[in-house]
Amino acid sequence: MTEYNEYSIFALIGSMTQAMRAERALACAGLRSEVVKATPSEYRRGCAYGILFSSAEERIAAEILRNARVRFRFFRRGGSG
Amino acid sequence: MIYLDNAATSFPKPPSVIRAVSDCLRLSCGNPGRGSHALSRAAAETVFSCRERAATLFDLSDPSRVVFTAGATASINTVLKGILRPGDHVLISDLEHNSVFRPLSRLAASGQISFDLFPTRFPPCQNADSAILSSLEGLIRPNTRLIFCTHASNIAPIRLPIRSIGAFCRKRGILFGVDAAQSGGHYPISMKQDRIDYLCLPAHKGLRGIPGAGLLLFGERPDLPLPETLTEGGSGYASFDPGMPSELPERFEAGTLPVPAIAGLSAGLEWVLQNGQEAIASAIEERVRRLGELLSGIPRLRIFLPEAEGLILLFSIDGIPSEAAAGELDRRGFCVRGGFHCAPLAHRALGTPEGGAVRVSPSELLTDAEAEAFAKGVRETVRLLRGD
Repeated sequence: MTEYNEYSIFALIGSMTQAMRAERALACAGLRSEVVKATPSEYRRGCAYGILFSSAEERIAAEILRNARVRFRFFRRGGSG
Repeated sequence: MIYLDNAATSFPKPPSVIRAVSDCLRLSCGNPGRGSHALSRAAAETVFSCRERAATLFDLSDPSRVVFTAGATASINTVLKGILRPGDHVLISDLEHNSVFRPLSRLAASGQISFDLFPTRFPPCQNADSAILSSLEGLIRPNTRLIFCTHASNIAPIRLPIRSIGAFCRKRGILFGVDAAQSGGHYPISMKQDRIDYLCLPAHKGLRGIPGAGLLLFGERPDLPLPETLTEGGSGYASFDPGMPSELPERFEAGTLPVPAIAGLSAGLEWVLQNGQEAIASAIEERVRRLGELLSGIPRLRIFLPEAEGLILLFSIDGIPSEAAAGELDRRGFCVRGGFHCAPLAHRALGTPEGGAVRVSPSELLTDAEAEAFAKGVRETVRLLRGD
């Protein structure tokens, strides 16, 4: 499990496949993220997946995901820092 | 044993495929998209990598347009039964496998749709590709919604001009589906350049995977209609919604995916990408040509389309049912397939005898010594069964 020093951003994506597309898109730009499940407060229609990454990369990540035509919604999650 | 039935399923599988299936079963066979633990994530990684490789091989930008099915037949049924609406008309070639002919026949028998065959065999003086397009022009109706055809016949060395047919369809606003069961992994296919809307493939033939998985690839034009789902169930996503998610690929992947078969397919795709489709096809065509040379002098044996380049050699023996010939060859250690190969339309188009024909489909591994041994076996089989 990745450990982030600051609080993290969870990008709610939807299906596992789209979450992996998002992870790959960020990886291509050198950004580290991991696919995790959404919590019930982040997604109320049952199970869903998204990616977790450092909040320091919020702006660039949003741009990359938009360019990759991945639909997302950001949530802040408390990190270890 | 000398295996000459690769058109049914490829054998032997590349060592990397066997290793991938075994490693998956031992180390990473979780349920992808159903949890967030390590084994589920590992399985999801296997599945997504396979989508990426399939997208690369078939020229798709978006791997989420690669859907896993139970096989090519399931892919074809999904397209035909999910896309066609009452009153639609469909054109298929006269070479189609029963995986196309039977679903359409059922839909037509219930009065929902109608379909016609377009011819693919023409006299040598005619350019076959142009003649096919002329035939299509004459057969389309105002309600023709889909043209669906095989890329390569499963009984004879015939390939259809899918790029020209795709352009024909796009120009007229007709949907275009391709059964690439025999050509996938052998002949290049570009979803974009061939303007294919729906591409159907099995894992276990030219893509060198194992039975249990197939592919359905959706073209990338934004207005492409997606089929209605034939199967609904768990997708690991939006569980409280009563319907399947609208997103690809999960919309068409209800239930647990066959992860070991997908792991094998992924390794098979990688094998094809590394070796190159043209090189693989060329090596097989060379062996088919050599088999043709060796069999051509045998009395009372007829080779169908002896001059054509392809991956398959089809022959019959005067007065001998093909199954009897295939059975005798099996006793001599040669695996070939007699009968009608689930393709009665194609047998009719080629004019094979009442007893069917023997299909020989080698791999690139066939040695010259094995080809000669097979020819000797066929010669002896003819002599034995004919009693000459």
